[in-house]
Amino acid sequence: MRAHFSRPAFFEGVRDMLPMLMGIVPFGVVCGVGALSAGVSPLETLAMSLIIFSGAAQIAATQMIADGAPFAVIVLTCLVLSLRFLMYSAAMAPHLRLLDSRWRNLLAFLLTDQAFASTIRRFRESGDLRANASYFLGSGALLWVTWGVATLAGVLLGSVIPSSWQLEFVVPLCFIAILAPLLRDRVTIAVFVVAAVAVVALDALPMRLSLICAGLIAITCGVVADQWLSRRG
Amino acid sequence: MDKTLTICLVTLVVGVLNFASRVSFIAWFARNDTPPLLSRALRHVPAAMLTAIAVPAVVFIAPGTLDLSAGNAKLVAAVVAGLVAWWRKNTVETIVVGMTVLWLMRWLVG
Repeated sequence: MRAHFSRPAFFEGVRDMLPMLMGIVPFGVVCGVGALSAGVSPLETLAMSLIIFSGAAQIAATQMIADGAPFAVIVLTCLVLSLRFLMYSAAMAPHLRLLDSRWRNLLAFLLTDQAFASTIRRFRESGDLRANASYFLGSGALLWVTWGVATLAGVLLGSVIPSSWQLEFVVPLCFIAILAPLLRDRVTIAVFVVAAVAVVALDALPMRLSLICAGLIAITCGVVADQWLSRRG
Repeated sequence: MDKTLTICLVTLVVGVLNFASRVSFIAWFARNDTPPLLSRALRHVPAAMLTAIAVPAVVFIAPGTLDLSAGNAKLVAAVVAGLVAWWRKNTVETIVVGMTVLWLMRWLVG
């Protein structure tokens, strides 16, 4: 385990995750308040946060538990929401293959939208596996702890952050902060446009299938555009 | 099914499913080579997925209610924040500008 650990890179990961917490804390509180109104106990909420570790899945699950939805429907919806992790896992895989299996499993457990967004650029730009893995661990661990504390605060204390502040909007802003700088070549801009149009057009699909479908459509368009451009020379 | 039992089962089953999804390709490609077509496709995962996650949070003012007008404070804030991010490549600046525009819009439009 030690072999891959670099303390400076770990704390760099922690530092770079800090701004994202401005969005994650209010989001976690909202998730905890949802659990409170669904009658989920504080201990159960904390367990969900630390084991499931996915805001989208937890909000969907607590909502459906409150509505008395069948167990199979709850699990199926969460399964659909987890499909995006398959993509993140595939995109991360080439960068993590030389780590030992304990490190790979640990980092996989901490793989979230935020951790993926904030680490993938670094992994692509730098080949320093030890520093990259430690950076990922720092970002992911901070997010995991914060997520547990924020949801627990929500279920224990209620809406401690006034909803009029709209701090949850920091969550999409963080994704925009990573996304916008990628839009510097024609193919990536095309991928962006296709994904944006598709996710809106497919919004009516059940179980938030729009997310994974729009992603797959946009990625396919990107691959086709790459091939078309390379064939044209 | 008893509610506590349902919650415990959901936590365990969804927890296992999430971990399985997260570890899937990381474990598989540690032992097998990535096919060239797939590795080209994977280059587009960040742009495609970040767009698919961020756009609905910006353009829908309520579930199912699309608002692409300049009266949608979140849309205006997101566009300005996007320009700042594109130019500056800085997360803190993007958040500060985005939230400032959002609050200003709310304050001006009411």
